[in-house]
Amino acid sequence: MSQDLRRDFQDRQDLIDYVAEIFPQTANFEPFVADTRGGRRAAEQLFENIDPKKYGATRNNISGAVTYLSPYIRHGVVTLREVRDLALRRADQRKDAAKFIMELAWREYWQRLYETLGGGVWDDIEEYKTGFPPDSYDEELPVNIKRGTTGLACIDAFSRELRRTGYLHNHARMWLASYVVHWRKVQWQAGAEWFLEHLLDGDPASNNLSWQWVASTFSNKPYFFNRENLERHTEGLYCRQCLHYGSCPFEGRYEDLSQKLFQIQ
Amino acid sequence: MNTIIWVHEDCLHPTGPAYMAYPESPSIFVFDDAGPVMSLKRYVFIYECLLELPVVIRKGDAVQEILGFARRHSADRIVTIATPSPRLKRIQQKLAQSIQLEVLAYDPFLEFTGTVRLERFSQFWRTVEPYAMLEEPRSEGDQEVAIPGSNTNDAAAGS
Ligand SMILES: Cc1cc2nc3c(=O)[nH]c(=O)nc-3n(C[C@H](O)[C@H](O)[C@H](O)COP(=O)(O)OP(=O)(O)OC[C@H]3O[C@@H](n4cnc5c(N)ncnc54)[C@H](O)[C@@H]3O)c2cc1C
Repeated sequence: MSQDLRRDFQDRQDLIDYVAEIFPQTANFEPFVADTRGGRRAAEQLFENIDPKKYGATRNNISGAVTYLSPYIRHGVVTLREVRDLALRRADQRKDAAKFIMELAWREYWQRLYETLGGGVWDDIEEYKTGFPPDSYDEELPVNIKRGTTGLACIDAFSRELRRTGYLHNHARMWLASYVVHWRKVQWQAGAEWFLEHLLDGDPASNNLSWQWVASTFSNKPYFFNRENLERHTEGLYCRQCLHYGSCPFEGRYEDLSQKLFQIQ
Repeated sequence: MNTIIWVHEDCLHPTGPAYMAYPESPSIFVFDDAGPVMSLKRYVFIYECLLELPVVIRKGDAVQEILGFARRHSADRIVTIATPSPRLKRIQQKLAQSIQLEVLAYDPFLEFTGTVRLERFSQFWRTVEPYAMLEEPRSEGDQEVAIPGSNTNDAAAGS
């Protein structure tokens, strides 16, 4: 008969060693542990981050005023309602909190869809709007994306951050997912599975349905971006150090990139 | 009636509905052998959440572990929290074949019980926005709706 797992630990390292021991399958991954601590106490410290007005103005920037609450919300340590109520209290005017609350509603929306789709969140909800049939997308995630060795400073940094910290900014998730599906022509499912292994907020609803949104199997068109967009929202952080600056695959106007990436008339 | 609480990974709230309704009842969490494959940091995060709950932590076959815990506490009822996860729902169904199962709703985000269309977020938002914003519900058709990604290809809004 199995036993109760331990609840007393000398320190965090003791806990980490124990978890690694009782879940030997984690040896298939790098032994990274996030600085983010689990639990309600840690979540409450992040409540200070809730600044709905600033959020509305900066959310799409990598250094914007996002809350980092997603792992706690995903595991029900904090409820959407609690976060919404706090945001409304902090907003001088109700409309200042509108953008933030709309993002909370995205989670609610994905959860409600999950309720009706169940395991169907792993299937293409609609056809790809890229002009390509589903079987033209590879099933395997390329090793250089998993390892962060593509040579593209941004993509490699996102891959590393995902594996090391279990968190990526929303925009970085979108860029990385778009790169996987549209530039590398890999099925969104392969990328979604990879994200779920690592994201502390990994959730089959928010994750898979966002991947489908990027892929266009749950949106009216594929999501893609260009270097200028990434550079602006990251304040040049990656582009500055990238050997491929000026000749990277994200270079160009949207019309030209669209022609290159898709077979849309 | 003797009650135990089954805590699962969708509700690790220290004052979640089950703990509020049954403050005296013993509770169990099971790392299910049939659960998803995850890297170390995800297990550590969940484990740290559990250490703030008054919960017995086990690893194994979820149904067997929960029923065994119920037997050890001579329980005739299991209480848990609703979840959209198909795997957790299957566990609920199996438990319900052996013992009385009470599934409590999770603190709802929206005080809205009507039906809402889910084909696209914009439809959903149009219906629920006043409830999400805690405003007086407005009549249909007088609201501006942001559709994610419709403005530019950088799809800055939404998803
Ligand atoms: C490809 C891809 C995969 C994703 N996978 C996940 C996932 O597995 N789990 C997950 O919780 N989110 C996922 N998201 C949504 C979003 O990126 C994260 O919720 C957000 O970045 C979390 O950071 P934060 O807590 O600082 O968010 P904030 O911007 O501070 O937002 C507050 C809360 O609102 C919710 N939220 C915000 N934006 C979104 C959104 N677009 N969709 C759904 N909920 C949102 C989250 O619960 C978040 O914690 C994914 C997005 C993409 C594009």
